[in-house]
Amino acid sequence: MINEPTYGPNWKHVRIALLGASAALFIPGLVLAQATTAPASSSQTTASASKSTSGDRWLHVRVINTDNKGETVRVNVPLELAEKVLPAVNHDRLHHGKVTIDHAHMDDVDLHAILDAVHSSKDGEYVTVQGTENDVRVAKENNHLIIHVVQKGSSKKCQVEIKVPMKVVDALFSAGKDELDLVAALHALSGQGDTELVSVKDSENTVKVWLDSKNVSD
Amino acid sequence: MMLLAKAALGLGGTLVLAGAYTFHEGVIRIDVDEYRGSGSHVHLWVPAAVVPMAMHFVPQKHFRRASEHAREFIPLVHAILKELKRYPETDFVEVKDDRQHVQVRTHQGKLQIDVDSPDENVHLLIPLSTLNDVGDQLETNAPGA
Repeated sequence: MINEPTYGPNWKHVRIALLGASAALFIPGLVLAQATTAPASSSQTTASASKSTSGDRWLHVRVINTDNKGETVRVNVPLELAEKVLPAVNHDRLHHGKVTIDHAHMDDVDLHAILDAVHSSKDGEYVTVQGTENDVRVAKENNHLIIHVVQKGSSKKCQVEIKVPMKVVDALFSAGKDELDLVAALHALSGQGDTELVSVKDSENTVKVWLDSKNVSD
Repeated sequence: MMLLAKAALGLGGTLVLAGAYTFHEGVIRIDVDEYRGSGSHVHLWVPAAVVPMAMHFVPQKHFRRASEHAREFIPLVHAILKELKRYPETDFVEVKDDRQHVQVRTHQGKLQIDVDSPDENVHLLIPLSTLNDVGDQLETNAPGA
């Protein structure tokens, strides 16, 4: 009678061990392969991106060009990120989150005096220009500075609407006479509710800049 | 045979640990396809954990030179990377027209840059932690650091 070799079960152990090792080695690879699959579809993007960090305020820019190329630009920036990153940019006139205003353009205009005047004034229309080429309206409504420009003349009609909270305007001019404090303005903006800041429409382009709590554009 | 089994088990275990460590930070993926006459085609998958290790073998003079070139941008890059970690699932920029699609986003803690155009396709996927490590190394080796 031939006895079964005693090393049989040991080989089984070796095989199991090797199988286990290879499986464990490749599983992280498989998981990572799934994680690193090529660009996600827009639906996946939206689904994953909708999970926004609570309390974050987002600045969105959307540009839609309706010419035959159909270009669309979407930018979503968390205000906090912009606040932290801007001071690190030191280029040209932007230093430590502040932009230096050109003296040549400011000599005849005292922006701070104008700002003070607007601040102390009641809501109302400050400037209304109705011309053949353009209509311009500058007003203060519910603590917002509102600028509307409608370009009527020629073939290119254009409509610009800017609505900026007064707190943001104050913060922007808080640095000094020749500087605009962008970081302070962003900080002030983060305390505002959902609002549309800029809207530009002409025959070919639509530009929209707005603020909300979502990390995706609509 | 028992000895062989133990050795195999040890080897297997080591492989598992090495594999787990190598892939724990994810994979850096670089795909570049240029559709020109002599356009390049680069397809690179590298375990992210290898990068900080490999950086230790880069001669200091090369690092110093790289740091000097990037000196102006290091604080900016560092600030961006530090903040990006807070936004692991975000579409930051998307540009689309009838010919091209460019997207910059973070996805599962990785920076993802995709460019699809008739001239070239570029897809980068880099774990934010790896970018941070590289930024730290450059900052450490920057002149005056």
